[in-house]
Amino acid sequence: MHNSSQLKNEFIKKWIQGLQIYCSSKKQMNLLERTKKIKLSADIALASAKHSATCWSKAIISEAKKDERNTILINNLSDPKMNFKCAHQNLACLKRIRSRKILKKSCDVGIKMKKMKPRRQVSNLATCIAKRLVKKRTQVLKRLVPGGESMDEYSIIKEALDYILSLRVQVDVMKNLVNATTNFE
Amino acid sequence: MSRRSGGSTPRISDDQIIELVSKLQQLLPELRNRRPNKASASKVLQETCNYVRSLHKEVDDLSDRLSRLLSTIDDDSPQASIIRSLINNN
Repeated sequence: MHNSSQLKNEFIKKWIQGLQIYCSSKKQMNLLERTKKIKLSADIALASAKHSATCWSKAIISEAKKDERNTILINNLSDPKMNFKCAHQNLACLKRIRSRKILKKSCDVGIKMKKMKPRRQVSNLATCIAKRLVKKRTQVLKRLVPGGESMDEYSIIKEALDYILSLRVQVDVMKNLVNATTNFE
Repeated sequence: MSRRSGGSTPRISDDQIIELVSKLQQLLPELRNRRPNKASASKVLQETCNYVRSLHKEVDDLSDRLSRLLSTIDDDSPQASIIRSLINNN
């Protein structure tokens, strides 16, 4: 499913496009602005190279769309239909998560009342702690992966897998460009 | 495994989740060569968070370096044209 050389090529193409758009505006930028623009164009290029296949990529684009200054960049790099899908999917996800939470709460209450047998208590405690840890880490991961807040546990792991692979591609390409440019000096 | 309240989502089995977690483990530099090969889910998730953070930081650093490099290059200099041709050849 994840073809990294294809992603790499798409990313490079779109990133260069994005950089060219910024270079064509003759405005003088200070270091901080330029750094931000480089990073932003890289992120948007990576996200749009996924062609709406993942939640995290859609989340990056819809987040970027909130700033009007990014309109030209986004219009040139991505598919305009993307926005609608992202919002719609998030809403469905949120509804799913809310109903699961309510269901879980009512189940937990039932389980607590049943936890009477001493023999089972130890294993329940270990499982309890393990589950809490997993939940805690999942929450952190949700904040790190774009669009993660509205995902359930299965999706966040799946998205994280893809996100990591894509981030690696991004880092590879950027590193190569930096090294190539540095070696000429 | 928590139950789903009906709807269109298929039931996700424990095995599917375990498989995903082990795939994730394979990606992580810290846990890839671990023996025994199965790390706990919470460890994998923790390392995943750390790895994503470190990748984010790398992107930030590389953007900064690129920005500095580009700022030292004049528009018409030979270095600029070298970069341009590098970019076009990709």
